[in-house]
Amino acid sequence: MNKHKVLIANRGEIAVRIMEACHDLGHEFVAVYTTEDQASGHVETARRLGGEGCVYRISSYNDAGELFSVADASGATAVHPGYGFFSENYRFARRVVQRERPMIFIGPSWWVIRDLGDKINTKRLARSLNVPTVPGSDRAIYDELEAEEIAESLFAFQEGQGISCPVVLVKASAGGGGMGIDEVPDMDRFRQVYRRIRNYSMRQFNDEGVLIEQRIFDFNHLEVQVVSERSGKRHVNFGTRNCSVQSPGRQKRIETAPGFYPSGMTYAFDAQKVLDDITAYSLRMAEAINYDNVGTWEWIVTPKGDPFLLEVNTRIQVENGVSAAIARIHGKNGVNLLREQIRLALGEPMGYTQNDITFEGVSIEYRIIAEDTTNRFQPWAGEIASFNWKDAPWLTMHTHVPTDRAYQIPTEYDPNLALAIIWGQDLEEAKARGVVALDGIELEGRDASGLELKSNLDFLRMKNKGLLEF
Amino acid sequence: MDIEKKLEELRQRVKYAQDILGEKRNPRLDAFLDKLSEFEINDTCGDERLMASLKAHEQRLQVLEESIDHELTAMDKVRIVRHPERICLRDILENVYDNYNEIGGRDENSIDPGMVIARACITRRVGKRTYNQPVMVVGQEKGHGQEFRNGGSIKPWGNANALKYMRVAAQENIPIHTYVFTPGSYPIEDYPGAAQQIAENIYEMCGLSVPIVAVFSEGGSGGAEAIAMADRRLMLSHGYYSVISPEGAAAIEGRIKPGQRASQELIEKCALHQRITAQDNRKNGYIDVVVQEPALGARPEHFDFFKRLRGEVIRATDNVALSVRSLRFLRKLAMKWRSDDPSDVEKIFVRWHLSQSSRQRLITKRRKKFMGLSKHAYKDNRSLFQRMFMANKSFVDTAHSVIRYKVLRAMGKSIKNVTAEATDELHAVASRMNQMRQAMFRLLGMNGSSGGKKVDELTHLSQPNEPNGNEALARYVSPQARLDREISCPNTAKNGCLDIWARDLFDDFAGTCPNCGHHFRMEYQWYLANIFDKDSIQEFNRNIASANPTNFPNFEERVQKAKDKTGLESACMTFNASLLGIRLTCAMLVADFRGGSVGAAEGEKFVRALEIARKRHQPFLAYIHGTAGIRIQEGVNGLIQMPRVTMAVRHYIEAGGLYMVLYDTNSYAGPLASFLGCSPYQYAVRSSRIGFAGPGVIKETTGLDIPPDYHNCFKALKRGHIQDVWDRKEIRKNLHQAFLTIGGRNLYYR
Repeated sequence: MNKHKVLIANRGEIAVRIMEACHDLGHEFVAVYTTEDQASGHVETARRLGGEGCVYRISSYNDAGELFSVADASGATAVHPGYGFFSENYRFARRVVQRERPMIFIGPSWWVIRDLGDKINTKRLARSLNVPTVPGSDRAIYDELEAEEIAESLFAFQEGQGISCPVVLVKASAGGGGMGIDEVPDMDRFRQVYRRIRNYSMRQFNDEGVLIEQRIFDFNHLEVQVVSERSGKRHVNFGTRNCSVQSPGRQKRIETAPGFYPSGMTYAFDAQKVLDDITAYSLRMAEAINYDNVGTWEWIVTPKGDPFLLEVNTRIQVENGVSAAIARIHGKNGVNLLREQIRLALGEPMGYTQNDITFEGVSIEYRIIAEDTTNRFQPWAGEIASFNWKDAPWLTMHTHVPTDRAYQIPTEYDPNLALAIIWGQDLEEAKARGVVALDGIELEGRDASGLELKSNLDFLRMKNKGLLEF
Repeated sequence: MDIEKKLEELRQRVKYAQDILGEKRNPRLDAFLDKLSEFEINDTCGDERLMASLKAHEQRLQVLEESIDHELTAMDKVRIVRHPERICLRDILENVYDNYNEIGGRDENSIDPGMVIARACITRRVGKRTYNQPVMVVGQEKGHGQEFRNGGSIKPWGNANALKYMRVAAQENIPIHTYVFTPGSYPIEDYPGAAQQIAENIYEMCGLSVPIVAVFSEGGSGGAEAIAMADRRLMLSHGYYSVISPEGAAAIEGRIKPGQRASQELIEKCALHQRITAQDNRKNGYIDVVVQEPALGARPEHFDFFKRLRGEVIRATDNVALSVRSLRFLRKLAMKWRSDDPSDVEKIFVRWHLSQSSRQRLITKRRKKFMGLSKHAYKDNRSLFQRMFMANKSFVDTAHSVIRYKVLRAMGKSIKNVTAEATDELHAVASRMNQMRQAMFRLLGMNGSSGGKKVDELTHLSQPNEPNGNEALARYVSPQARLDREISCPNTAKNGCLDIWARDLFDDFAGTCPNCGHHFRMEYQWYLANIFDKDSIQEFNRNIASANPTNFPNFEERVQKAKDKTGLESACMTFNASLLGIRLTCAMLVADFRGGSVGAAEGEKFVRALEIARKRHQPFLAYIHGTAGIRIQEGVNGLIQMPRVTMAVRHYIEAGGLYMVLYDTNSYAGPLASFLGCSPYQYAVRSSRIGFAGPGVIKETTGLDIPPDYHNCFKALKRGHIQDVWDRKEIRKNLHQAFLTIGGRNLYYR
């Protein structure tokens, strides 16, 4: 095995996990941090595992030039982008491999990131493979008459499906992240909304194209974890996850693996078939585009049990730990998807097939966040005086918050504090252990005006009760 | 004290002669001055003898002046016209015309005291009859050094005022006499803007249908052209007519930095080699008549000279008027009978009032005159075959144009009307049939609509989009995108832009900062690939090549170097291309070839391209990748392209075309002040800077410190000089939109 030096272009808990994975695999790593982040646990871990020489201070995690300077200065041979920041930026990925001193990008190849990062392209690819997608247009619509025709048939289609209050979404085809999107409750208002979105899109993205889709209510958010070899030829899945517990801003708070629990719960549809279907669809697409690293296929499942492909995340995800917790390779536990990602990205053969992967039990991940769940989930910023939890063999805690000293939460980055991953033999046990774990967390602090720390622990406890119900 | 006076006068004349020679000393002049001072001491003789002796001295001085006059260099002539004693417009108004009154301002109480506009009168007595012939006199007034005249450097609003009264003259059907006494225009951009106003002046003067006679004394570049688009161009023998002052040329040639001065030697060399004198210009055909001045140049006391000038001006106006008389043989006869003696003109009366048809003929004649200029100043390297091909093509185009747009269009229209009516009827019948069919279905209990197909469209792969045109682009990767380096956006401090990888910036981002939209420079090849349809570009007249018509020292090699570097034969590339299927003609000024400067070859290619676009009824795009102005080394051969190409542009626009200008990078000076600035549709890419003179020249000539963003395209938009600012990536779409929505009646796709 070649020894590599991996530049970790990220912060917080994921940086810690990547470091540990590199360390386990026997690779060196280089870590970066910003001035605001100097008290973060990931810096401490880096020093502990890699020594003083592997830590570099930069001005911003978003400055590619600076990251490459660090890479060159430290002689890094690979780059791990983590999640967020540059992880789904195909230009960054391309630059890593095309610069004069090329490195390995730990993630899918840049053209894969590019192709799957384009939602229209992804939707068309899915449809060409008979993978179900959200009903509506699969290309940018520029013509008003055509748009109206599609909207009309969408309303008719929903009525035919027995939906009582059909709603149609108009999206700017070049937009994303909730910008340039609006819903239309009936045909009379369509033209008005359509024109507004079109004009917005023209101003914002210099493109008039819009997408017109059905709005789906009360859905469950499922994911399929795909892992592929660098060759792009071998693909396996590490099961499904359910990420339906989300904040109003559609940010995940609790993730559960597996995605449904047909053995202990009754659903209005054949849940096992849905899980099998979305897994098969995801692998079908991965094969079709020669997917070549870890990735997540995101699905929405309607109350009637229809799955629709939402998007493909071409990166490791926060919640990779729950899939790892229930997975067994050759019957052994201790699976670490970050380790698999790095190993495969560096070109090692996979070493197992789908048949060697089995699943056992239920795993739940709670995202512990300093936020005011009663007040629109506003992030809370202040100083954490103490953060501790009760250890248990079934609990893994990933955090960059130091437990031995006070820690000021930097306001520049997202306020994630820790991930608590629980494993149980069945859903009941996992949920019960979850309550125990959440109860065992001690989290105290005050902000600048002396107000007490606000966390989402109560929200997590409340949502824990109904996990995987649908 | 007549003697004292006479003596003083002689001393002044010697001093004047010395002024003219500049730093050079003339020993004979010095000796004469010594004699004159001796003369002063010896004052015991009688007045008569003294006077006689003085007369003798005067004669000797006269001879001396004449001998100096023979050896005057170009730079000496520049000093003559700049001398405060040089005749100026007021002297001419006093002495050449029979009476005049200033309109549009008096002395310093004028919108621009440097521009004098007057209604003047020429009175001719033929036999017993007296004829008063009014003319509009327009010209720069230097006022013998009067401060408020600003040395005859005209501000944009001064030129606008001149144009206003020239239009009045055209309205009143009286001739226009313009007198050019300017070192150059005042280079400020305040509305209406130096360049834009000069462009408008030239463009409008092309179409003023009254005789225009221009007299050059000091013809400084654009400032001169603003009033010099004339049917007859006269020039005083000691004047100069040049694209740039010799000092300015020397500063550019010697790469002089601000604060430094070019050497006298270099200035003299530039003056000589730019061929700026009246004689040179006459030889090159840019001047029709040289009016001989007295030795060492005309001064206000040279009354003989004014008489001669009067004769020449009247004769020139007569000739113009006669040359467009309706009966051809009368025209010829009248021209033949006229003798060369200028004093004759007083005895013959020629009506200057033109009939409607004569006015049309005048415009055509003026166009032909300017089209015929500077033909010697470029190299036509086209092979015999190429020439024949182009000539044949031109003929075919003409024939095609006539058949297609004159004959067929009329026929086509009537056919269209008939078919439109017929199809309307068919539609009515068809819809009736359809209704019946559906009624049948209903009766039979079948569902006529196809719901299944619609649901299919919502959940299954649809047909790909109609091609939106971008598929038809050629791929061009900028050499700048081959480097593995980071580029800093200049707006980093203001907008916090991150550094951009060169390969992303110059390929994916088309040279624009993804954060703030700053436009970096792109090569012209990028535009060729990203504006026009793939493989649609057909270049023509490539082998009309830039040359060195003035024999400017070392210039041949420098032009050759530019040719080798760019692979082009001149700074202008002309081609036919299509844009989303619309065929168009494009002339492009390439910044890499000597700064995109315009000389005779470039002008000629522009003119020919305009001609092709006119015949084919295609829209015309002048894409200015960059231009530094007129190529100074070509002298007036370059400068004349200003009126010349503007004339061609006007001809094209009046034929019903669409003349559109798109600026990309730095676009300055002459071309802007003429054939580019006259377009009603000027657009700019965000990377462009648009103006008349660069910051250095403005500082030099006006003493003003201008802010760094003075010429920025958004400033130009604010001032109303351009119509819009486009992002580079929008060019193709916006051009297409523009072609479809604006422009004249005679575009082929209309």
